[in-house]
Amino acid sequence: MKYYLKLGFVLLSITIIASGVLAYINSITKPIIEENQRKTKEEARLEVLPSAVAFDSLSYFNDEVVYIGKNENGEIVGYTFVASLYGYSGDVKTMIGVTQELVVNKIKIIEQKETPGLGANCQKQEFQKQFENKNKSSMLVDKDGGEIISITGATITTRTIANSIKTGLVMLEEITSELEELTSDKEEEIK
Amino acid sequence: MPDIYAVSASPHLKQRISVPSVMWQVSLALTPALLVGIFFFGIQSLYLTIYAVAAAVITEAVIQKLRKIPITITDGSAVVTGILIAFNINTSSPWWLPVIGSVFAIAIGKQVFGGLGYNIFNPALLGRAFMVASWPTLMTSGWKATSPLSNFFESSINGLKNLPSNVPEVITSATPLGVAKALRDTTQISRDMAETVMNSLSNSDTIQNLFWGNVGGVIGEVSAAALLIGAAYLAYKHIIEWRIPISYIGTVFVLTYIFGGINGLFSASILLPVFHIFSGGLILGAFFMATDMVTSPVTKRGRIVFGMGCGILTVVNRLVGGYQEGVSYSILLMNITVPLIDRFTLPRIFGEVKA
Amino acid sequence: MTFFKEFTKGFVKENPVFVMALGLCPVLAVSSSVENAIGMGAAATFVLVFSNIFISLIKNFIPNKIRIPSYIVVIASFVTIVDMVMEAYVPALHKNLGLFIPLIVVNCIILGRAEAFAGKNNVARSIVDGLGMGIGFTLALIVIAIIREILGAGQLLGFNVLPETYNPMLIAILAPGAFIVMGLLMGLMNMKKK
Repeated sequence: MKYYLKLGFVLLSITIIASGVLAYINSITKPIIEENQRKTKEEARLEVLPSAVAFDSLSYFNDEVVYIGKNENGEIVGYTFVASLYGYSGDVKTMIGVTQELVVNKIKIIEQKETPGLGANCQKQEFQKQFENKNKSSMLVDKDGGEIISITGATITTRTIANSIKTGLVMLEEITSELEELTSDKEEEIK
Repeated sequence: MPDIYAVSASPHLKQRISVPSVMWQVSLALTPALLVGIFFFGIQSLYLTIYAVAAAVITEAVIQKLRKIPITITDGSAVVTGILIAFNINTSSPWWLPVIGSVFAIAIGKQVFGGLGYNIFNPALLGRAFMVASWPTLMTSGWKATSPLSNFFESSINGLKNLPSNVPEVITSATPLGVAKALRDTTQISRDMAETVMNSLSNSDTIQNLFWGNVGGVIGEVSAAALLIGAAYLAYKHIIEWRIPISYIGTVFVLTYIFGGINGLFSASILLPVFHIFSGGLILGAFFMATDMVTSPVTKRGRIVFGMGCGILTVVNRLVGGYQEGVSYSILLMNITVPLIDRFTLPRIFGEVKA
Repeated sequence: MTFFKEFTKGFVKENPVFVMALGLCPVLAVSSSVENAIGMGAAATFVLVFSNIFISLIKNFIPNKIRIPSYIVVIASFVTIVDMVMEAYVPALHKNLGLFIPLIVVNCIILGRAEAFAGKNNVARSIVDGLGMGIGFTLALIVIAIIREILGAGQLLGFNVLPETYNPMLIAILAPGAFIVMGLLMGLMNMKKK
């Protein structure tokens, strides 16, 4: 009995020391990690909507915050959201900056697990550029009669990205129209 | 002492059959399909085949030399692998594609395992899988006829002249099988349209084009007729036996008839299974690749199980999988199961009592 | 065995990957680029050296019956430290290596060295052993990664090394390529040994 107590005691002391050390290191690295994550997201938002200087959270889409971008004078210049859909071998997440007229300003693939050399080519600038200045009705791949030139050998990935952006734009349209109703209601009340 | 008195272990009944005679006859049987390929796709097909065969033979010789074992390139097995590799590519491929494919097939697919008779997988199919994984765009695009000779036939080369003119671009795929696959994606095209196209697929004109080879595709798969001539010769010579190809093709027929329609079970016309049999690499695979003596079961029941397994996997691939075509992967997957199939289908020894 | 021999045995003679065939999961998974290979190798070497040090220090206090759980706790702690530090200071590399950093815990090389070496030798020898094995592991990863990255992407450390006209052999950076390249290298090592 005494022997087993000793075993337990040794193991306990090892785990206590280990967890103490880990807790200490976690307390150092955690703020840095969080800051990193916040920064990358903010940088991505700024990249897709450069005209904005401040972002306010507006709503949620796919568990990600939809932001409303404002310029120095506090005027709305556009929105950013993260579109996400299952591609060929995993979720493809895209950060999208949209102007006030709900036309895509710029997109940035922030997460993908597609096949290297094929679907993974969606990270190339030339591919992402062609989404710019398109609205929800032109989110159609060339194979389906649209304008978006699909990646060679990766139509599924291309279609996924186009579809995810399209759904996002439809969602955004709903949110903004609700928003307008609210503001117009308010205005009426004021009148 | 004459051979007749030789004392030996079983089997005592021996056939006058040798590796070289089998392999050279298989090469001969593949010739009609090659000729049709040259006819439809031009002389480039012949050059690509020569590159593939030369690469296969040279690789075999070099590796056997390195391993310090007898060089057996005259037995024709590398030649067959080379021809089958060339049959799996299209004429617009660069010259190095069949060369690298053949080198891989012989070096990794065969010699690494110990040479002919020891390989787990059909080397040519392994070479094809390697090429598809490495250069998917080269392997799956450019399936167009390039030969002026092919214009002898009036109908359109992709065999789909009956397609209504207003079909969306999503289904103008390079091959009929690609079209059949796209039809199942109901998010992309309307039901009515899908039905119209389905009807023109399982139309006797389309099937005739598929049968004679008037379709886009890779060199060796175009003409079912030419492949069947070769297969008939091999069957007549008892080099391939009927169990694997018949159970394979039969399974595909039944399953595509049941599940192939776009309106649920049994909604397909009886011509749809015929379409599935003559399109893609099914004829080539069923008669020339699944029957490879090294990588198919030795027992009779096992061969039927093997053929049915190939058929099920092919249909699953074609109807629900990520690929338009599934013949090569089905056969490769079934190749792995061969030892297991052989084990479970061993005939009972005479006099043995069930435990 | 001299110190120097102890150090170099992991490079070739007892190479953890090609000879002992340990820790193959990360080898296959992250060797698609040289950058990832170096990152993974460095992380594993760090864990290997420090767990070896600690285990050889505490080996006399640990009853035989609970040595494996104790080793695992020590190893897991160092892996978690590496994981957190990498996420904080090299987030890009951490994202690429992903799940395979936490999986170093179950990398057989580390427990293998703890059990076979550090649990029986003094601190100095254990450091040398861990460092040598870690470098051997890293070397193996880098060799595989060089072949895979050049063939599969035409690049080395992200720079184009082959002419534009090269059509990358994609299979090399996909999973089957990892198996083929590693298998061939293993075969080559065995051939040399004979």
